[in-house]
Amino acid sequence: MSSTITKLNAPLTQAFDSQPSSDLQISITPTINVQTQRLADFDTLIEALEYAAKGTTGYNFHDARGKLRSVLPYRLLRQNARLLAKRLSGFSLARGSRVAIIADTSPEFIELFFACRYAGLVPFAMPVPVNLGSHAMYVQQLRAMLNSGQASIALANLDYVNFLEEAARETENIKWVGTPDQLSKLPAVDAKPQINHPDETAYLQFTSGSTRAPRGVVITERALMSNIQGIVCNGLEIQPGDRAASWLPFYHDMGLVGLVLAPMVAQLSVDYLATRDFAIRPLQWLRLISRNRCTIAFSQPFGLKLCTMRVRESDLKDLDLSCWRAAGIGAEMIRPDTLKSFAEKFASVGFNDRAFLPCYGLAETTLAVTFSKINHGLKSIRVDAKTLVDKKMAVRVQADGRKFNEFVNCGQPLPGHTVKIVNETGKELPGMMVGSVLVHGSSVMSGYFNNPEETSKALKPGNWLDTGDIGFLFEGDLYITGRRTDVIIVNGRNIRAQDIEEIAEQQPEVRSREASAFGINDADGTTKIVLVIESRLSATTERQTLISRLQKMVYMAFGVNCLVELVPPHTLPRTSSGKLSRFAARQGFIQRTNITDPLPAVESRDR
Amino acid sequence: MPESNYNEIMQLLCNRLENISNTDVAITPDLSLIDQLSIDSIKLLNLIMEIEDTFDISVPINALADVQTVRDLADLIHRIKSESS
Repeated sequence: MSSTITKLNAPLTQAFDSQPSSDLQISITPTINVQTQRLADFDTLIEALEYAAKGTTGYNFHDARGKLRSVLPYRLLRQNARLLAKRLSGFSLARGSRVAIIADTSPEFIELFFACRYAGLVPFAMPVPVNLGSHAMYVQQLRAMLNSGQASIALANLDYVNFLEEAARETENIKWVGTPDQLSKLPAVDAKPQINHPDETAYLQFTSGSTRAPRGVVITERALMSNIQGIVCNGLEIQPGDRAASWLPFYHDMGLVGLVLAPMVAQLSVDYLATRDFAIRPLQWLRLISRNRCTIAFSQPFGLKLCTMRVRESDLKDLDLSCWRAAGIGAEMIRPDTLKSFAEKFASVGFNDRAFLPCYGLAETTLAVTFSKINHGLKSIRVDAKTLVDKKMAVRVQADGRKFNEFVNCGQPLPGHTVKIVNETGKELPGMMVGSVLVHGSSVMSGYFNNPEETSKALKPGNWLDTGDIGFLFEGDLYITGRRTDVIIVNGRNIRAQDIEEIAEQQPEVRSREASAFGINDADGTTKIVLVIESRLSATTERQTLISRLQKMVYMAFGVNCLVELVPPHTLPRTSSGKLSRFAARQGFIQRTNITDPLPAVESRDR
Repeated sequence: MPESNYNEIMQLLCNRLENISNTDVAITPDLSLIDQLSIDSIKLLNLIMEIEDTFDISVPINALADVQTVRDLADLIHRIKSESS
């Protein structure tokens, strides 16, 4: 591996404290390539990399202070990935065996990912730990993913490999755990690079930080290339001169597919900032865009909110965001206010609000389903709040004074994809009627890895994917009105309600089926997790002990505070089959606490 | 690093925590950052930024997984500071 890359294994402190800039012999990869741009017309990832490697573009990694730390041109990526593939071949694994990689924002992760594809293996990305005191929960989460993906090999950079070793101790399939450095010291087997078929699995994508039963979405080369082509040609209308910047984690679908794989497949250069560094100093992301004249940068609404909240007025003077033509927004419910505040704050430094590009997608469709029209900015409609709840129908507000909900236009499906809205019985609904969002098309997953039960819940007859989200169509454009009730999105992170409930049910004072977790939206658009528990405890101290313990455990698992409410037995509403209804539990909580819910969710069937 | 520096770190840290935690609880080394001070993710980001700027260090994300109390955090800062000097 090149010396610029092995430097990353040195402790972080050395990487930017004791390195005078004169030591850096490296410079960023160019925006303008020397070769003709091919717009994602490849059959496989490796075919795309073989082409991109003939040019001069590639990936650039920047540190927390904005300094260039290492560069991985596609040419070097191809070379290093092929070398690592020979080392991987030494394990003599069956074709398609899984390789788990902890995906910090590093060149090593990308090299390993492609090395797997050169060796005919299937990589999957695992998260880095993000929460205070999360050690035990994190190891449990890794172990669950290693088991669910039946990984044969697991890799992590030096900072994370001890967590991985701990997690791998109680797994069945693991043959080897180590760092990329250790892998590169193993003997090379002179195996020919594998030719990949479009119908083969390209990688697995884990969908949420579920601690018990994480689900690995199976994405084939064909689904991946189809989705990337849609993103590159239709969603973004990529052209020579485009350059991307990203802080999105490599273990999320938007970060991996949208800002690692898609740029390479279109031979664009990308500038990266680690997620942690963005979260602490969001200004660095905007500086990267400004300095390197990036045209494409995606974020969840929460990322924009961080920028609006934490960038000081005095920081604005050095910024010029006029180059930013596609500010993709996705991965959680988009609130117009979040985008409007961002645009107001950064208009003075050239940010054009027509750059806003709301989109809709999910890991189960590789990444994207719909894109709004590029260069049109945020479009939304206001619908009558009462009709929405009473009749599940979106009626545009005509008169002033009516209470309304504003929903963002997420645009039309990519070519080769269809979206339909259905009611509880699966019957297709006409425009403006609110129901479950179903997707059909070439980038829909093959299923969840080794999990026919969950697969059959998600994939309906005719290969229609039930997204679990709720919305309506208007003039062919998709509007999302509510996410599914089994996933709570806090600060851009997906948290499964079931995982929170399981933490509660593990407590000796709580019986199973006596805990219900859901999200409540504040007026300012933030989501708070509420955990309602049926409890027989009467002593105040006992009740308080339980509440504190639960809050601490939820924090350690997910890094969020939650509100715990203890209610008498038989308070929580149940369905006819005896299952707790989170939707009804949420309605009950809203009534008891007398809060006004700014965004009435329409019930979705828990998936 | 001499003992006085460790005490200095602890003192600075307690001052910062008093400001951001908006509780009346006195900050002591054994206090849990998680359930007693309710440091949520946004407060944590601000705290890490201040620590990095004040002590001129970089706090690696993997190390936070083993931090639960005020003392754990002071120990971590002290360790990083000693390693980098």
